[in-house]
Order: sequence, then structure tokens, then C-alpha cells
Amino acid sequence: MVITEQKEFEEILASLAGNERIYLIGCGVCATTWGTGGEKETRQMAQDLTQAGKECTGWVVTEEAACDVRTTRLLLRRDQDRVKRADALLVLACGAGVQTVAELVDVPVYPALNTLFLARLQSLSLCDERCRLCGDCILAQTSAICPVTLCPKGLMNGPCGGYEDGKCEVDRERDCAWVAIYERMEALGQRERFSVIHSPKNWRAASHPGAVNKRAEKAAVGGER
Amino acid sequence: MSRLAQALAEGKFVVTAELGPPKGVDVTHLLEMAALLRDHVDAVNVTDQQSSVMTLGSLAVCHLLREHDVEPVFQITCRDRNRIALQSDLLSAAALGVENVLCLTGDYVTLGDHPQAKPVFDLDSVTLLQTVAALQDGHDLAGKPLQGTPTFFPGAVVNPGAKPLGPQIAKMEKKVEAGAKFFQTQAVYDPSQFERFVRQVEYLKVPILVGIILLKSAAMARFMNSNVAGVTVPDELIEEIGSVPMPERPAKAVQIGARLIRQMRGMCQGVHIMTLGWERHVPPLLAEAGLE
Repeated sequence: MVITEQKEFEEILASLAGNERIYLIGCGVCATTWGTGGEKETRQMAQDLTQAGKECTGWVVTEEAACDVRTTRLLLRRDQDRVKRADALLVLACGAGVQTVAELVDVPVYPALNTLFLARLQSLSLCDERCRLCGDCILAQTSAICPVTLCPKGLMNGPCGGYEDGKCEVDRERDCAWVAIYERMEALGQRERFSVIHSPKNWRAASHPGAVNKRAEKAAVGGER
Repeated sequence: MSRLAQALAEGKFVVTAELGPPKGVDVTHLLEMAALLRDHVDAVNVTDQQSSVMTLGSLAVCHLLREHDVEPVFQITCRDRNRIALQSDLLSAAALGVENVLCLTGDYVTLGDHPQAKPVFDLDSVTLLQTVAALQDGHDLAGKPLQGTPTFFPGAVVNPGAKPLGPQIAKMEKKVEAGAKFFQTQAVYDPSQFERFVRQVEYLKVPILVGIILLKSAAMARFMNSNVAGVTVPDELIEEIGSVPMPERPAKAVQIGARLIRQMRGMCQGVHIMTLGWERHVPPLLAEAGLE
């Protein structure tokens, strides 16, 4: 799940300066689950903006993810009268959602959220970052614990000398990822895997700058045997 | 072969010390300390932005030490350089005649005085050791041949007090496989703990230089106990250093340090003294430990 947090209201107002009629869009997937851009939050934002002197021409929360161009385009078309009355759009979604909306309209589009990370959701109010989207997954070699994400140094071959009682030198609240990997390998009877020396990571696979028009490779349905 | 490699090959109990480059370009004091150590130690480590605090570079100081007939150990960390810069600096070291390289991961940037810096860690200590091996083999990490093959004597570090110890030893094993020819340890204050560690890694058959830091005061001991991973100063030693008045502390610290060296001398192949500004106490320490 993509984790977001709402920006300070003052920052949102500052970005909307010069725009008086605002249409709002929340996201029906990640931001709804995490409670940063669902129906409740989008409605509240509309109220807050009205109180701050703006006119809200309308709001909608996408049914699918806001970053899905197909469904977001349909939604905006369906509500086009109210969308067209706005001189700016405010999006309560991750950065991908904001940019998706921005390419569908010809007025300024602003973010209401900061996009934080890709997480494991432990409850509706607790999550932890689990993936850095590095493009070269090594979880097969690390007993499904990601040191790229969980070790501040992103080490590939075991812990540094700074861990204490299994905790990280950078933050004593944090478990040392490599001690955790070692212990899980032992528990799984795969301790010998720790001894494999892993080559330096292929950072070329990391998606930076952003990937352009990546096509899905789909298996042919009912294809040749 | 470097003088350090030679001494270890001959089975001599070696002594290394450590100097930290200054923040700035005035090396007067550094060279005075180097001169003070010169006739007492086999080699002197030069730290690489220790604790992530920006200083004059390790390689430049290693070169200056060689000019003053002091054998340097070039400490090189993965914190500030990617694989291109690390390989280049290793070649630079070899071109300047610096053979001993201590391959370290490096402290995290937020520990130091530029906490906003971008941490690099493109390689880690194990792959850095492999890089040294590749260069010695005449090619770079991309497989391209080198014009002139460098010679190195690569070393690494280990923390015998790490809790838990298993992952630490497993990583030490990888460092040996990657080419580490000697190890220097984090400071040790408990000889029996060190003995247990040494027994567990005996099978690696690699020289170990036990780390010694002179206990300057009880406060310093307590600070290390709460802040330095894997370092445990036993209560008796804290009491011992705390029991003497300030002016007598250096003598007491030397006495404790010498005792630790004598106790651990038979367990390892050398001692690495991290001086932390107390370079002048190294000669009496070695004399009292019976190493002069």
C-alpha cells in the first residue's frame, strides 16, 4: 500500500492562491484505506476550503485507484459540469494520482498529500515501510526480509559492526535487518545461505528517473501449446 | 609486500595504532604524533572521516606518513563514494605506494557533523574487499583490464562483543572469503569474552589484532558502555580507573591497558591501539606490556 499524509492546511491554501473555485478528488484505494484521501477526508477538506473562503464546485472519490487513467478519466467526464466550473483541482491521492489527474484537465492541479512510502499495513493506524521499489528484488537471498529498505546502509552481505542486542546503530528502536535475516535463515534451516557473497546491487535497474511507458508482458490467452 | 604484511608473515606480534586527520590542512600536530609512534609500532591506521565527521582525507595523510617513514594503513569506507570513486581511490593509493587498506562499511552519515549528506553505500565491506581482489587481479569491477596491476594488503574489522555474535562471525567469514588478510577488532576489555570469540573463529586462520582503547576515566567507560555497540567495560575496571585522582589516571590507564594486552597476547597475532588523542602514552603502554 502507498502511504500518504495530509499536508499542512496552510501549505495547501498557499498552493491554491489565486484560484477561487476548487474541485476535489480523493482516491478510493490506498488513501481511503489509510484515511488520508477517502470520502470522509475529501468531504472535510471541502468544508475547510469553504470556511477559508474558497468555493468548492464539487468533489468525488474514485472507485478504483486515482492513478488508473481509465477510470479517473470516466469519473471526471461524468462530473464534467462541476469540474469545468473549477479553476483548479486539489487531489487527495499519492503523487501518481495527482499526476494522473493533471494530465486529464487543462487547469492547475495541486496535491493535498505527501507521498511517503510503500508499506505493509498492520492495522488501519499502523504500517511500516517494506519496499523501496529498487527494481532488482533480492528477497530470495535474504529470507524475504528487505535490507535495501530496512537497513539504513542498504547492506547486501550481512550486518555492520554497529548493531547492539539485535538493534540498529542508527536507531535503537529499529531491528537490525541483517540480524533478523540471519535469525530467520537459522529458523528455516537455511543458515548456509548467509554465506553466499552477493555482488554489488545493480542500481541501473532502479527506476530513476521515472520509468517511461513500460508495457506489461502478458501471456497469450489460449495461445500455442 | 608491505612491512605490515611482512611482520605478520614472520609471525611477529604486531602493533598498530591509529591517527585521525585534522579538520583542516595544518598537519603539524598529526606529524608530531606520527613521529612519536614511528619507532614503537609496525603501522598506523589513518581514519576515513571517522564517525562521519568531515576531515582531511585518509589517503593524503597516508602519503604524508610514508614520506615520514611511517607505515600507513589506509582506512577506506563505503559511506561517501560509489564503486567508481572507491576503485579510483584504491588505484591512487597503490600509485602512491600505500598497500595496506582496511576495508570498512563506514558509520552512518547522521552520526557525524553533516547529517544532511546523501549516504552512498554502493558497495559494502565484503564487496569492497572483492573489489580490492579484482584490482589486484588486474581488472576493475566492470571486467576491464588495468594498465599496471596494483598490490594491496587488505584487512577488515570485526566486533568480538557484538550481540548476537553469530551474524558477526558469519560476516567475518565472508570477509575472509572476499580476501581479508588481517582483522583489527573493536575495543576489548574482557579477555575471557575475547578468548571465546577467538576460539569460535580459529577455523578462519586469519591474523587478528585485538583492539585496545586506553580507559581515560570512569565517565568514558560508562559512555562507551551505553553508546558504543559491542563494547563492555566490566565494573571492576570502571572502579579501578575511577579510584585514582585525575593526575594519576594516565598511569593507571596505561597499567590497565598493559594488563589487558598481556592477558590477550597469547590469543591473537597483534594489538591495535586506538589512541583517541593519547598518542604519548603508547610508548609507556607498550613498554609495560612487554612489547618493546
